[in-house]
Amino acid sequence: MKRAVMPCNGLDKAYGVLARELALRLMETEGMHLICPVLLNNSPVRYDKDLADASLLVVDGCPTRCASKLAQKLGIAVAGKMLVSEQAKTAGVDVGESLRPGPVGMQLVDAMQAELAAQAQAGVDGQPAVDFDPPTRFLTVTYDKFVFKIPAEGYLFNENDCWVRVVGNRARVGVSDFAQQSMTDITYFEPTRIGAVVEQFDEVGSLESGKSMMDVLSPVSGRVTAVNTELVDSPELINEDPYGRGWIAEMELRDFESDKALLLDAASYSRTIEGKAAQAQH
Amino acid sequence: MIPNGNGKKTIVIPCSGIGKVQGLIAREAAYAAAAAGGGELLCLALLVSGDEEAVSRIRDAECITIDGCPKLCAVKNVEATGGTVAKSIQVIDVLKNHRGAELGTATKLADAGWAVAHEIAQDINHCESEVK
Repeated sequence: MKRAVMPCNGLDKAYGVLARELALRLMETEGMHLICPVLLNNSPVRYDKDLADASLLVVDGCPTRCASKLAQKLGIAVAGKMLVSEQAKTAGVDVGESLRPGPVGMQLVDAMQAELAAQAQAGVDGQPAVDFDPPTRFLTVTYDKFVFKIPAEGYLFNENDCWVRVVGNRARVGVSDFAQQSMTDITYFEPTRIGAVVEQFDEVGSLESGKSMMDVLSPVSGRVTAVNTELVDSPELINEDPYGRGWIAEMELRDFESDKALLLDAASYSRTIEGKAAQAQH
Repeated sequence: MIPNGNGKKTIVIPCSGIGKVQGLIAREAAYAAAAAGGGELLCLALLVSGDEEAVSRIRDAECITIDGCPKLCAVKNVEATGGTVAKSIQVIDVLKNHRGAELGTATKLADAGWAVAHEIAQDINHCESEVK
């Protein structure tokens, strides 16, 4: 499959400059097609050939995520995303403010390129791999004016209000209806890194609303194979459809049989919610 | 940001400038102009993606756009967003006076490429000082 990379404009911030550096590096050393985000916006037909059947990587410098926003606005499928500011944070490096990349910045570019190569080698392309049908039957917990829905079958939960749905050796994880209603309108989603290997109860994303913050703690151990990039620009999907379009991450399972011992089925989780709702009331 | 003679500020906006040597010249010219006091930089993709703060900034300013190729992404988008383009520079026009020059590549400018970038920056700064 052809591969293409679209960085953000990367003009006036150090992170953006590094996004651009990474894209140029991928073009020069790996033959990836380079997509200019502004030209794509002005003249999408210009890139018809480059993007046809291509796997597109979007590289944003800062959390404004201009390139991701433009891809979404144009309805272009994105196979993978990388956010330089997040990569710097994860690596614990300070790239400074210079618009001329220094050694620390270029080392970060090296590390990002290596990570992308490792993902490709491991067969992690960031794309959801399994079709998960939405739940059709729910248990409900009613408390005061609130009604919390819990899929009656096919989902398991941890006590941190996160769910997992397993198909073969793959799993999809998300947060429960109780979690989203407790947070109220979710305004920000920060995904985890594709390819990350996590233990059970490790963080696989975080959410923010005007009312609170929530770390999404994985109900299972394994490797993150995809994240729901749609949530970056539309975190409200978690409120609207927490068990469907609001999924958080997809994972390749490592030891589900052991993980299961610490998970709750729908009936047990209903009782947990009843307890939490009562506690919140007092 | 520098207020010009109209009391407005000057913002220098190059095209995204990726993938072509002319785009890189536009970008480097913008850096050089800004460094010499010719205005403040603004990221074009920020404007195109509809960032409210960026849109507000150009509406209160006079913009100098630098385009690498004939697609004219910078001037078109600034105008489409409601900005005033005080000066529009097209690198390909400047290059008519540098026919045959070895400019470099989309990732690295050669000496002649740097010379063109600095020529454009000087033009911007001259324009800026005239307006003041």
